[in-house]
Amino acid sequence: MSLDTSARAYWREEFSLIALLLLFFIAIVAFAYTLPFDARLFPLIIGCAGIALTLAVALEQLRRHRAGAVAVVDADDPATRADWPRYATALLSAPAFGLLFWLFGFIIASFAAMMLIPLLMGYANRRRLVVSAAITVAVLAVIGPYLLNVELPQGVVGDWLIDKLALRAG
Amino acid sequence: MLDHLILGLTAALQFKQFMFMIAGTVIGLWVGVLPGLGGPVAMAILIPFTFSMDPLSALLMLASISVGAAFGGSVTSILLNIPGEASSAATAYDGYPMAQQGKAKVAMGLSAGASLAAAIVGVLILMFASGPVAKAALAFSPAEYFALAILGLTVVSVAALGSTIKGLVMGALGLAISLIGIDSILGAERYTFGFVYLLDGISFVPVMVGLFAITELISMILEGGTIAKAGKLEGSLWDGFRDTFRYPFTLIQSTAVGAFLGMIPGIGATAANFLAYSVAQRSSKHPERFGKGAPEGIIAPEASNNSCIPTSLIPALTLGIPGGATSAILLVAVTLQGLRPGPMLFTSNPELIWGFFMGLLIGAVMATILYLIMIPWFALITIVRIELMAPMLLIVTLFGAYANERNMMDVFVAIFFGLFGYFLRRHGYPLISLVIGLILGKLAEGSFHQALMISDHDYSVFFLRPLSASIFALCLVLVLWPGVKKRLGHGGAEVT
Repeated sequence: MSLDTSARAYWREEFSLIALLLLFFIAIVAFAYTLPFDARLFPLIIGCAGIALTLAVALEQLRRHRAGAVAVVDADDPATRADWPRYATALLSAPAFGLLFWLFGFIIASFAAMMLIPLLMGYANRRRLVVSAAITVAVLAVIGPYLLNVELPQGVVGDWLIDKLALRAG
Repeated sequence: MLDHLILGLTAALQFKQFMFMIAGTVIGLWVGVLPGLGGPVAMAILIPFTFSMDPLSALLMLASISVGAAFGGSVTSILLNIPGEASSAATAYDGYPMAQQGKAKVAMGLSAGASLAAAIVGVLILMFASGPVAKAALAFSPAEYFALAILGLTVVSVAALGSTIKGLVMGALGLAISLIGIDSILGAERYTFGFVYLLDGISFVPVMVGLFAITELISMILEGGTIAKAGKLEGSLWDGFRDTFRYPFTLIQSTAVGAFLGMIPGIGATAANFLAYSVAQRSSKHPERFGKGAPEGIIAPEASNNSCIPTSLIPALTLGIPGGATSAILLVAVTLQGLRPGPMLFTSNPELIWGFFMGLLIGAVMATILYLIMIPWFALITIVRIELMAPMLLIVTLFGAYANERNMMDVFVAIFFGLFGYFLRRHGYPLISLVIGLILGKLAEGSFHQALMISDHDYSVFFLRPLSASIFALCLVLVLWPGVKKRLGHGGAEVT
């Protein structure tokens, strides 16, 4: 990605963030109006302060943008240097893991993450990959329920299957 | 007094108590390392096991968990830029750059030295100043508490010298997020939109996991390689441990900040951690070194959170007011043992109280020894390939987010804040301000309303009381100072 394209992407992101923050603070103020006085006083103060501060940031950034500040983009920023498969892996790993965790439970999601993320990052040693995946998942499967008293969820699909096949104890 | 010390030492040094302290410290170190699972969670899980113990063993085991977790929390902050404990988050600012330079062992040595010294001072303050300090803390009215919350937010926001306004926006965002849920004054539902999950508000743990762990994971995956850029480790543990005492001013100053904030109910070790870092940066002759691996940047947060934990027990034991989650759980344990916290506890159970104090001292030394033994093994993480480590960290951090409340929604909240936090961090928005806003939000709103109720809705109460007026004046000076400094031509370090 050229530095010029990166700078354009940077400013697009910057103004999107400002818009998002502004929208959030406006929502805080707008939804406060339905609340009783004592419950809305603090949200109104914080929301109005947030709007004022976000507008100040917007003005500051607009001034920098108009001054043509390309130096905002760090040439060493890994996001600028990374190719799109790596960028997609970085941004989508956590949401994909969360979705798998919710659908298929912790064990399957963890095993999938341990096997797929290194491959997508270009890791070639498959034997080491399988061994580390198996050990990590096994250790967490023991630590969670037995040492931390945290039952590992089976996921929506897992629970449905257990009910369907009448595998639940008791 | 000497009689009490001997009595306490005799009680704490019994074999049984010693074994419970070792067990508590090891558990604490271990949960401290796991992001999302802090000392209070482990203490809460183990409370049922203390029913059958004698009061001193129960208190010593629970307190050792808390001390061990404070030590262990710094491990992942330094090695992975992911705080194991919320109260170690600021340690990452200089600990992680040091680990990247291959000096992970030195950084952990610094952390151990600062933690030990501060914990000992904190326990000594707890021993000798409990009575007078508790009385002084009672002089703080809600107006002062509100002013202190705003001061905490201001100090941290202003620490981001290059982007003070962005810091303040993040502080306001944190405060606004803390408004979600049932309001503490009227019990009205705010911004819940019918979601049961939002009734209790957004939990602090998944937000922390998202903002610090997931954002760092994204950066790690983008970067690849190993954390220690050269792929090897330099320096020794003892270099770091020894170096701690080459910065006596930072050590004393940060210990004092932590000890003072610990005595004030509701502020807590996390806020102390960030505030001590900001204060150390402001008072340093070389603020530009902060954020790049400055030893003072590790000493300050570690000293403050370790001195804060013992002093947070002062209002808990003397007045029955918990200073934070740790002291609240200890209060529960004291009550479950059939004892009543308050001044009478000191006169009716001197063996228990002084045994507990001496046990805390021994526990701090024990935690340091165990930490030092474990460090060389922990440090090896920095030379493991990120391709292998990233998925492991993803699994462990999101497991931590889930395990806190056993709620799947917490996992999604952590992921949301991780992605949002990544873009915020990339654009120079200091995430610490958001966290501090979230932590102090409830305290700020509660004390704001209490002050208004006491003064019959007279808003001048915040500016007419000398103490709160002074604190607000300090806030104003802090906000204006970076602009003045810029005009005078001085630079500074930027913390994001």
